[in-house]
Amino acid sequence: MQKKGMKWSSLLLLILVVAMIAAGCSSNSGDNSSNQSSGGAGKKTEILFWSPFSGSDGPYMKKIVDKYNSSQDQYKVNFVIHPNGEYYKQMDIALSSAKDKPSLMIMHVDKVPTYASKNQLQAIDELAATAGISKADFAVAPVEYATIEDNWYTIPLDIHPLVMYYNKDLFEQAGVTTVPTNRAEFDDAITKLTDASKGVYGYVVPTLWPQQFIFPTLVWQNGGQLWDGNDVGFNSPEVVEIVQYLRDMIEAGTSPANVQQDGENTLFLQGKNAIQFNGPWMKSQFDEAGINYGVTTVPQLGKAEQAVYAGSHGFVVPQGITDEKVVAGVGDFLKYVTTNSMDWAESGQALASIPMIESDAFKALEFQSTIASSFEYVQFSPNVINWDTISEPIWAELNNALLGNKTVQQAMDDAVNKSHQAMK
Amino acid sequence: MMKSSVGSRFTSFLFVIPYLIAFSVFLLFPILYGVYLSLHNFELLSVDHDFVGLANYIDIFTPGTYTNSVFFRGLWATFQFVIYSVPLLIFTGLGMAMLVNALPRKIRGLFRTVYFMPYALSASVMAVIWLMMFDTNAGFLNSLLQKMGIAGIPWLTATPWAWIALIITTLWWTIGFNMIIFVNALNEVPEDYYEAASIDGANQWRKFIHITLPTIKPVMLFVMITSTIASFNVYAQPFLLTRGGPGDSTKVLLMNVLDQAFARKQIGSASAMAIMMALLIIIVSLVQMKLTMAKKGDK
Repeated sequence: MQKKGMKWSSLLLLILVVAMIAAGCSSNSGDNSSNQSSGGAGKKTEILFWSPFSGSDGPYMKKIVDKYNSSQDQYKVNFVIHPNGEYYKQMDIALSSAKDKPSLMIMHVDKVPTYASKNQLQAIDELAATAGISKADFAVAPVEYATIEDNWYTIPLDIHPLVMYYNKDLFEQAGVTTVPTNRAEFDDAITKLTDASKGVYGYVVPTLWPQQFIFPTLVWQNGGQLWDGNDVGFNSPEVVEIVQYLRDMIEAGTSPANVQQDGENTLFLQGKNAIQFNGPWMKSQFDEAGINYGVTTVPQLGKAEQAVYAGSHGFVVPQGITDEKVVAGVGDFLKYVTTNSMDWAESGQALASIPMIESDAFKALEFQSTIASSFEYVQFSPNVINWDTISEPIWAELNNALLGNKTVQQAMDDAVNKSHQAMK
Repeated sequence: MMKSSVGSRFTSFLFVIPYLIAFSVFLLFPILYGVYLSLHNFELLSVDHDFVGLANYIDIFTPGTYTNSVFFRGLWATFQFVIYSVPLLIFTGLGMAMLVNALPRKIRGLFRTVYFMPYALSASVMAVIWLMMFDTNAGFLNSLLQKMGIAGIPWLTATPWAWIALIITTLWWTIGFNMIIFVNALNEVPEDYYEAASIDGANQWRKFIHITLPTIKPVMLFVMITSTIASFNVYAQPFLLTRGGPGDSTKVLLMNVLDQAFARKQIGSASAMAIMMALLIIIVSLVQMKLTMAKKGDK
């Protein structure tokens, strides 16, 4: 009896498995491009718009979309928010399955080279020209970055560079009256601000995130390179010098040792860390905590030139979105956003659209316009395919260097070797 | 056994179908699809997914490749976690179950609930709590230590403290499950065994060794295997607390598998790593079972 039962069930299992594998395989083949079909006459053309704005920024983008939808009756933008941490996983799966592809997506500008090289993105030159959007409408950096072999891939929305937050109360107590703008002033300020007896530090050096923003900033400021066109440059004298500079702050006691994930922010929130470099997205947290803080551009701590690492959200159109009405709708929506994105600035972001930056409404936003003042020298991750993969080893080795587990030179050499392995 | 008719066999088969479907859809199919992926050069964003045979597996075992180094460094971190955590998960669970059982009946339920509660928390809540507890310069534990005149401990930024912190967190977070299992097992031990032992003059310790432990042995095996599997699958604690640091010393295998899949987008290679990991877990579980069964056979 048992045997026969087994046969039965194994037969059924086999059928199920075969059916599923077949289904799984076939979903990858075939390219159905018009899944957001335009529908009959009089019906609105639907545009599926994906974003990773799962934080406090989501409602601001929703507002823009809602206003757009009610401003005209030809198109309807369906705004979808995916959890920030899952966004690119979801995107990869959607792009590779060819089904349920969005017509419009938010993408960080430094992801564009990789996705464009995999032929996943459409050049938007024509779409922009038809909609009346020109490259000159935007800050130069993200447009240049996302123009690859004369194809333009992204309409920039915002630029979010590293910024400097400082605790005004601590500055006043320590008698620091001017905000530091270079290394000498910075060293002077953090020495004055540090008060070991109270457990107050001038600048708490993070050992993990947000080093992903701080480290590139300082490397470029010091004349170093993350990528020279062929190879990583993590162990050049310029890079070693600037990492040693951070390590020296820990040795000197202007920063505590063994700072864990978010440790510098915890101390900042407790009023025990006078200066923090972080992204514009931290603003709401500090507002809520009721800290008397100021914000300014990151001082030039390197010896070569002013530079700052930034991220940038932009709009991209996936390959395979060919329905004319949908493409026209995407263009129409993007044209609208380019001139109607003040709601997005309200979320704390500095806009990339020049008409918006130059508007009085934007200039009235002190925080956002301070950020925008660094747009001239912002830089993004090296413009190379798979940079995330190539650069992955540096973060663990930087962590080792800042924790004092290895000498800086040793850690940076190890990072280079691991990156070489990852590039193979 | 009685011969059953075709009809009744079919009826009993019908009862199994719902589970069979769920099992196939959520377990069997993903596993087989994983095997399929692992035999292909499956880069997420590429159109061509060539069949490459065992190349992904060979890559894992070829010294000098990136996959080889992340697989074995991750495996070593995971192994350390398993070795430190499993004994503690078993014996702390058992110890707490005995403590709770020794409580007056009225408050027993309360403590069972309290100890079980963290198990219901999500990983991110667990992480927020323990980041605040462990913070080197602003955390609760270190300020407590400093009040007692002991220098602060770099809980999450130096080994072995990072491991200790991760184990403490894991115990706090998951011990309730093992405790509840042991509570039930302890309640199953017949009271008259203990009475008989008392008459023979056995003390508490001897009763525990010769009555409690042998009786709950099957449950012990169950807890050991589930704890081992859970510990092999450790991810959230290091991912959220140490971020794999200091350096990459707590970067466990599953973190590397996910990186391989979604940062490097090498789904095929990541699947091969995951399948090697699954095979390893199966082998370890079998060994545990064999060892425990062998002891049983001796008696």
